[in-house]
Amino acid sequence: MKKSSIILIGIIAIAIAMILVIYTDSSTYSTFSEAKEKQTELYVVGVLNKDKELMYDPVKDANHFSFYMYDNDSTECQVVFNGSKPQDIERSEQIVLTGKMEGNTFHASKILMKCPSKYNQDQMEVIETTAEPKTAFVN
Amino acid sequence: MDVKFVGENLLPGQIGQFFVILSFGAALFSLISYFFAAKNPEETSWKKLGRIGFWLNALSIFVIGATLFYIIYNHLFEYHYAWAHSSTTLPTHYIISAFWEGQEGSFWLWMFWQVILGIVLVFKSKSWEAPVMTFVMLCQLFLSSMLIGVEIFGSRIGSSPFILLREAMTWPILNDPNYLSMIKDGRGLNPLLQNYWMVIHPPTLFLGFASMIVPFTYAAAGLWQKRYKEWINPGLPWALFAVMILGAGIIMGSFWAYEALNFGGFWAWDPVENVSIIPWFTLIAAVHVMIAFKNSGHAYFTSAFLCLISFVLVIYASYLTRSGILGETSVHSFTSLGMSGQLIIFNLTFLGLMIFFLVTRKKGMPSTQKEEEIYSREFWLFIGALVLTVACVQMIATTSIPVFNALFGTKVAPPIDPIPHYNKWQGAFAVVVMLLTAFTQFLKYKRSDSKKFWAATLASFVFAILISAVIIYFTHVYTNVMYILITFSAVFCILANLRILGDAFKGKWRLAGSAVSHIGFGLLLIGALIAAATNEVISVNQENYIAVAGFDKVEKPGENLFLTEGEPVQMGEYKITYVGDSVAAPNVFYKIKYEKIDEETGQMLESFILTPFAQNNPQMGGLIGTPGTKHFLTHDIYTLITAAASDSQAAATPKQEGEGTNLEEYDEPATYKVAVGDTLRYRNGYYVIESLDHNATVENMSKGENDLMVKMKIKVVSAEGKEYPVEPVFVLKNNNYFDFPKTVEEQGLMFRFTKVLPADKKLELMAYQKPLPQKKWVVFKAIKFPYINFFWCGTIVMTIGFCMAIYRRVKDGRNKQNREELVS
Repeated sequence: MKKSSIILIGIIAIAIAMILVIYTDSSTYSTFSEAKEKQTELYVVGVLNKDKELMYDPVKDANHFSFYMYDNDSTECQVVFNGSKPQDIERSEQIVLTGKMEGNTFHASKILMKCPSKYNQDQMEVIETTAEPKTAFVN
Repeated sequence: MDVKFVGENLLPGQIGQFFVILSFGAALFSLISYFFAAKNPEETSWKKLGRIGFWLNALSIFVIGATLFYIIYNHLFEYHYAWAHSSTTLPTHYIISAFWEGQEGSFWLWMFWQVILGIVLVFKSKSWEAPVMTFVMLCQLFLSSMLIGVEIFGSRIGSSPFILLREAMTWPILNDPNYLSMIKDGRGLNPLLQNYWMVIHPPTLFLGFASMIVPFTYAAAGLWQKRYKEWINPGLPWALFAVMILGAGIIMGSFWAYEALNFGGFWAWDPVENVSIIPWFTLIAAVHVMIAFKNSGHAYFTSAFLCLISFVLVIYASYLTRSGILGETSVHSFTSLGMSGQLIIFNLTFLGLMIFFLVTRKKGMPSTQKEEEIYSREFWLFIGALVLTVACVQMIATTSIPVFNALFGTKVAPPIDPIPHYNKWQGAFAVVVMLLTAFTQFLKYKRSDSKKFWAATLASFVFAILISAVIIYFTHVYTNVMYILITFSAVFCILANLRILGDAFKGKWRLAGSAVSHIGFGLLLIGALIAAATNEVISVNQENYIAVAGFDKVEKPGENLFLTEGEPVQMGEYKITYVGDSVAAPNVFYKIKYEKIDEETGQMLESFILTPFAQNNPQMGGLIGTPGTKHFLTHDIYTLITAAASDSQAAATPKQEGEGTNLEEYDEPATYKVAVGDTLRYRNGYYVIESLDHNATVENMSKGENDLMVKMKIKVVSAEGKEYPVEPVFVLKNNNYFDFPKTVEEQGLMFRFTKVLPADKKLELMAYQKPLPQKKWVVFKAIKFPYINFFWCGTIVMTIGFCMAIYRRVKDGRNKQNREELVS
């Protein structure tokens, strides 16, 4: 057997081992109740509770933002984020949080939002149409 | 119902759509002709037809581009593309960015470059023209199909940039014949793309992507035509060209991300970034094994495989970023246009071609029976290529998690924190690759003297240890073993290649190109490592600061600092002040002053003002900040506004209310009975009633006999000692009395002279004050990036090295051709 073939096989073995390790590194999308059980860093997907107030007072603390979110099982939970308020969160239609549960609040280290403006062009334009006729039909 | 729409300019769209169809037809025609030309090289008519098809396709692409530009430039909002990607307020140079903001425009850009490359190939590739152009036109056929936008058998093929707004949208107002007069403006360009780098980065990146097809076509043509060995020579300069341009394009993107995006860094291992760097790695590997094959006859299969897979990966990249499949994992991929099926077919076709040629031509491939020597350059070039490929496998595996989820219906989430995940793997690969790049320089092809090799390697090794120890000490990267290893291996690589460069000065110019690009890559790696490993958030709030162990760069407590206008805050070694803002619609520029003061002498050591800006763009999702960065030789100070008082943002949106005295703007008034000579206080100073003028006149008002027009002269003195005269007027006309208020805008004051009270010998004065303006504030984040200049410098050096290498390979190829012509 040639040296290069041996090395090739060796490298393929490393590649396979590597992919297996990557999947142990990967995470799962879970819910607040699971987060409570596991107590580790994970993803929670859900929607913003738009009825409750979003709390961000930069004058008091520029690094404290909290809000309420429903996860995919419709469990509501308070989320605390150590950072400034992402500006378009009110308009988000889906939120992916990274973080862990501490007591009864979820401490998020990262917030990823899906916003209609970026991901669903048509929906945003529906919002625009409702605003349009006010000025449009004057003439 | 047939509605006649008013004001539409339909001609450009019709021209455009015609040429879209023509470009598709011409590509198909050219593909078929070139295919038969490659099969029957004796019949020149096939080749002629192929060329006609190609030129027709080229013409169509130019016309499509010109028409689309015309539509955007003239703000023809009846076209969806113009409406969706531009607005009337967009400066001309950003109209160019608007052109390729959408998928259709970026597909056009790809086709355009492919046409330019095609022109070079038609003129320069000689006997390779027919087979090479067959593959180019096949790709062009797929790309043109992306713009067709016609429904066939119930499924839409492609998405046309010439679709009308009323066809694309279903708003009720679009049924109105007059709808165009209601569409005042387009949606505008995403503010993140309103950056000069966005004018230059996409064309470079797409030229890089487009030129990856040339090595593919040469490899495929070589296998197809069984001209196994010949394709390496013409293919090599093209592969180098593609690597150079794509590399420059990727780093430009990284520079744009650093200068204009708000994630606070230059590389985030975002899927969109990964998919562009993967084919770059594989083609770099390809270049190395191609050279190994040229010099030793080894690694033929690997060369062909890597050239072919690189372009397949380019198409895969385009599938990932354009199909919307990355939606949950990437912030900046394109939205889905419902073309993923088409993209998958495109991808599978080229993958199929690759497998077909590699399998059916396996037997004919040149191979050497002789085993590689351990002490030979080709052996280690081969190993290096394999390591690069494995590095790609890692990136593909993690980036493709959403694809695997879609394929197998699983719900695996990507790693929680992608940056450490990728750094862990790619850091290890970088060390191995850099070590290989270093010691392989001391090996010769076929067989080297092991004693000489070890002597040269050890000497450089010792020097590398010394120099990297100094670098590691001064840049503080000694906290992590991986950092130390990467720094050392990069220094080792630079030193080894400097030796080669030294030989070049003695006359061996041939190897200078590779040495320079290796040095550039080494510098780039050191710069990236130091900047990424030791960047620190300097806007830490003293009270809120909580030390977090480890190196995770996620939002730590206290990364944002609150600043009130005019109130300095000490931040590390800097005293920072928010000195104010200025508005240049739609952006608000915030002036943040940095001062470094020597504590003992009180001397000002450094003072500069950064102006990060932000625009409130509700359509694009709220406040979008663009950082301001101060570049020093050894580090950068980066500042980003993360939140701001809304009133300064409101000023950036045009005001519509009329001028004048809007009582709603003022607090409840205070009513005083005053006499001449009285002094009264207000919030920011005092005012004196100086005198009365009974002979006041009021414009457009005649004064009758019994009428009274009295002007009260008031002197307002602010706390700063500024004086403002103001003269409210009281009028009694035809037994009706009314008054003319007067304002002092600077002090937010308004006075009304409302009554004359002869009984008390007093005058009634109403003083209005505006509520105190809320102090302006910003929340911002500042990061210090040390030694990031190495990163940019390294890129430039590397690109120069590639240019030198291309020059050499083109010259070699020419010499060889001349020699062959002389022989025959």
